[in-house]
Amino acid sequence: MSAPGGERRRQRNRTFWFWTFVGPFVAGLALFTYVPLAWSVYLSFFDAHNTVSPTDFVGFGNYTAMLGDPAFRSSLLTFTVFTAFIVPATYALSLGLALAVNRLRFAQAFFRSVFFLPAACSYVVAAMVWKMSVFNGVRFGLANTVLGWFGAEPVAWLAATDPPWYWLVIITVRLWLQAGFYMLLFLAGLQRIPVRLYEAAALDGARPGWQTFRHITFPALRTTSVAVVLLLVVGAFQAFDEFYNLLSGARGYPPYARPPLVHLYYTALGQGQDLGLGSAGAVILALIILVVTVVQARWSGLGRREEY
Amino acid sequence: MDDALVRAGRALRLALLIALAALFLIPFYLLVRNGLASEAEITAPDWTLFPRDPHWSNVRELFADPDVPMAHALLNSSLIAVATTAGTLLLASLAGYGLARIPYRHANAVFYAIVGTLMVPAAVTFVPSFVLVSSLGWVSSLRGLIVPTLFSAFACFVFRQYFLGFPRELEDAAQVDGLGYWRTFWRVVVPNSRPVFAAVGTIVFIGAWNAFLWPLVIGQGRDSWTVQVALSTFTTAQTVNLHELFLAAAVSILPLLVVFLFLQRYIVAGVERSGIDD
Amino acid sequence: MPINRRTLMAGAAGLALTGGLATACGTNTGRGGGGSGRPRLSQWYHQYGEAGTRQAVGRYAAAYKDADVRVEWRPGNYEQQSSAALLTDSGPDVLEVSGPTLDQIHSGQIVDLTDVIADVKGDFGQAVLAPKTYDGRVWGVPQLVDTQVLYYRKSLLQAAGVRPPRTLDELVDAAGRLTTAKVKGLFLGNDGGAGVLGGTPLHAAGLSLVTDEGAVGFDDPAAARTLGTLHRLYADKSLLLGAPTDWADPSAFVQGLTAMQWSGLWALPQIKRAHGEDFGVLPFPPDGPAGRPAVPVGAWSAAVSARSGHRDAARAFVKWLWVERTDLQEDFALSYGFHIPARTSLAARADRLRNGPAAEIVRFTTDHGFPAQPLLWTPPSQTTYQDALNRIIKGGADPATELKSAVRKAEAELRRMRKGS
Repeated sequence: MSAPGGERRRQRNRTFWFWTFVGPFVAGLALFTYVPLAWSVYLSFFDAHNTVSPTDFVGFGNYTAMLGDPAFRSSLLTFTVFTAFIVPATYALSLGLALAVNRLRFAQAFFRSVFFLPAACSYVVAAMVWKMSVFNGVRFGLANTVLGWFGAEPVAWLAATDPPWYWLVIITVRLWLQAGFYMLLFLAGLQRIPVRLYEAAALDGARPGWQTFRHITFPALRTTSVAVVLLLVVGAFQAFDEFYNLLSGARGYPPYARPPLVHLYYTALGQGQDLGLGSAGAVILALIILVVTVVQARWSGLGRREEY
Repeated sequence: MDDALVRAGRALRLALLIALAALFLIPFYLLVRNGLASEAEITAPDWTLFPRDPHWSNVRELFADPDVPMAHALLNSSLIAVATTAGTLLLASLAGYGLARIPYRHANAVFYAIVGTLMVPAAVTFVPSFVLVSSLGWVSSLRGLIVPTLFSAFACFVFRQYFLGFPRELEDAAQVDGLGYWRTFWRVVVPNSRPVFAAVGTIVFIGAWNAFLWPLVIGQGRDSWTVQVALSTFTTAQTVNLHELFLAAAVSILPLLVVFLFLQRYIVAGVERSGIDD
Repeated sequence: MPINRRTLMAGAAGLALTGGLATACGTNTGRGGGGSGRPRLSQWYHQYGEAGTRQAVGRYAAAYKDADVRVEWRPGNYEQQSSAALLTDSGPDVLEVSGPTLDQIHSGQIVDLTDVIADVKGDFGQAVLAPKTYDGRVWGVPQLVDTQVLYYRKSLLQAAGVRPPRTLDELVDAAGRLTTAKVKGLFLGNDGGAGVLGGTPLHAAGLSLVTDEGAVGFDDPAAARTLGTLHRLYADKSLLLGAPTDWADPSAFVQGLTAMQWSGLWALPQIKRAHGEDFGVLPFPPDGPAGRPAVPVGAWSAAVSARSGHRDAARAFVKWLWVERTDLQEDFALSYGFHIPARTSLAARADRLRNGPAAEIVRFTTDHGFPAQPLLWTPPSQTTYQDALNRIIKGGADPATELKSAVRKAEAELRRMRKGS
């Protein structure tokens, strides 16, 4: 039974089945993701204006140019600040929704659906409604109508830089689009918390409400929280669609609220087609996301349970 | 006294939820409202809650627009979204199961190589991807629209996490019956994992339905326009056709709502079991 | 366990379906010969907003006998799509470009069209042809001319006791006095004007983005003064901001949200329908001692991809449509939207451009037209300059400091261009 030959055969057998299951996916991923990725990295070392087969090797020139560009650095900084705000905000809203919906005794499916429905909207559609109807700058826009009830002056939301009201537009659209999806993740997490934990806490004299949340619910949601935060951070750094659709005009993009990807689009990857420079910026961005994710994963223990 | 307080708290919470739900629904209302308004009513300074006489003819106009094959675009999007979803589910669930359950020395390395791709913004590899697919001769073909999008690292990640938490006893019983990995997967694992398939399927479907740049660039020719591409045609360099834009946007969301409302019960159960939170 | 088998079967059937469809819908890139022996050409246009244009260009293509021309009508971001497509063999043979860009010329992506246009070269305005010409060679055949002007409501100006502004200071003053609680004085786009104005204020000050000699054209204190004046419009709150539609669409002007709007020639028919005789047109008013009225001129032009398998056929088609068939060129410019034909001889005899504001606008472009998009003005220069302009107008930033960084960037780009040639 346990002869070395049999063990080896079993191992070969497993390897065969592993690749039968995983192989097709990995082959596709290699062709359609890794090849373009490697190609981008290759381009980042060349002067590649309007070409994908460049000949003019520039070493790290594109990288130093990118990092030396104050606009790119400031977009990275802006987006660190943006991430530091939007991640906790989305986290709090979606957790709050999940807690409230979870305790409902009726109409739970209704509220769950209402909060999740925005996830079905594309960024293009959402940005359009926000820009043209909710936050347009004239006095009959929805937000300005509400302001008008209190006698306030209309605000040109997306064009207002002092104070920067455009952040309100960007953040509300992102919250609207995303809160429902993360609420769903939290709901799932909540439903898995064993009832006996709450019973035990009640016996120990914990009052329902804040104390229970603080000592039972929140710790029990730790793993969900880790995943949610990770996805939110990656999403915040890769933000492009709602920014582009809200703020770009036929002739470019204002010099504020510019995420790294929008910056790359306008300086290199859009009409400019400076593919080497754009790829260098992209590699830098991907590395930053990777480092943040790895640090977060280490710190929060996401990597555990990788063994069989 | 205490009881009254609790009841008041509960009422307050409910009121808050209702208010939030109303806020969340406003954009949907605006889509329908503007879609049924006349062009002038949308930008008119005097706001009406609902168009005084709803232009139902807008619907006919939208589907009869000679420049925008809306019905055909809906068909294309459905076809692409269904095919993408089916293909992604098949590939990602197989891979996820293999990674979670079949012992192999380099399984972890493979897993990290897959998850690592999540960090790379897709916009960035766009030009090389396009050149690659075009050199395969897949431009303007359904193949080009669908196949490159089938390999979703996100879906694979979710499936793997789910299968890690799949009750082993069920599989062990199957192994005792002499079923190999392949037949265990199809006969035991898949039938008991419908929720996770529903959850991943919904998310992939939404993504495929809402995709814009790839279908736009690969699908050359009006015959291969998807709904999102059709939507974009109402905004041109010179004019914006507002009422058709809003109406078309409302129409474009409708199929998703149906899909979601139908699957949502499974989705909640699915996310719960997926172990995405582990 | 019947269910799993069914699942499996359904999955397999689904795959088979996909595969079958994919094979059935083979590629259709417009490349390769048809059976008839005529070469097959693919021609790209960006999506024009005016009804009927798409059908018209289809008719032109069908009328051509020497090749089987298929028209591709591209919605969405045209520049991004066309520049990606030019990198591959499945792109267009003939395409519309707003440039071409100098990088496209340098990297050999498009074909020299000098002899295609040779016979009629004198029939194009200098402002139109110059951005298509490099080192004496022509790289694009202008299809039609677009321009932008200041529209104003005569009645509102009269009521406010303001005369049509003839200098930039008068414009700022007029915009302030025309602004009421319900109507703003001026609409320069939702970003406050940085996007649409571009180099226009520089020309109004007697300067330019790039000089004819290929140097930066706004390294001058006058530039800072003029651009600084624009900030007053914003500071006075006379600018309409955040309208539901942008400057290119006349809705804000038509709906009475603003007394004056900077918009395209294409908006004229709609404005005329709404306001009848109650509107006038002006060029961008001059500023300073060297000032002159400024009218930006841009032209879409036809280019031929260097990767085309039928370059000669493509050139022949461009020559037929955009050089020889003046009847179609006039139809294209004037029968659907409202543009100026690229050829001056056509513009001069077109009925719809003979009188009223349209005639005035044509005169503006001949007298004061300047290329809105000079060939040496690259996207990086444009982005940096536009950022600076935006910060000056809306942020009240110091024009001199802001312009300095724009000058630096533009100089670096000009150096790169010289190296690339």
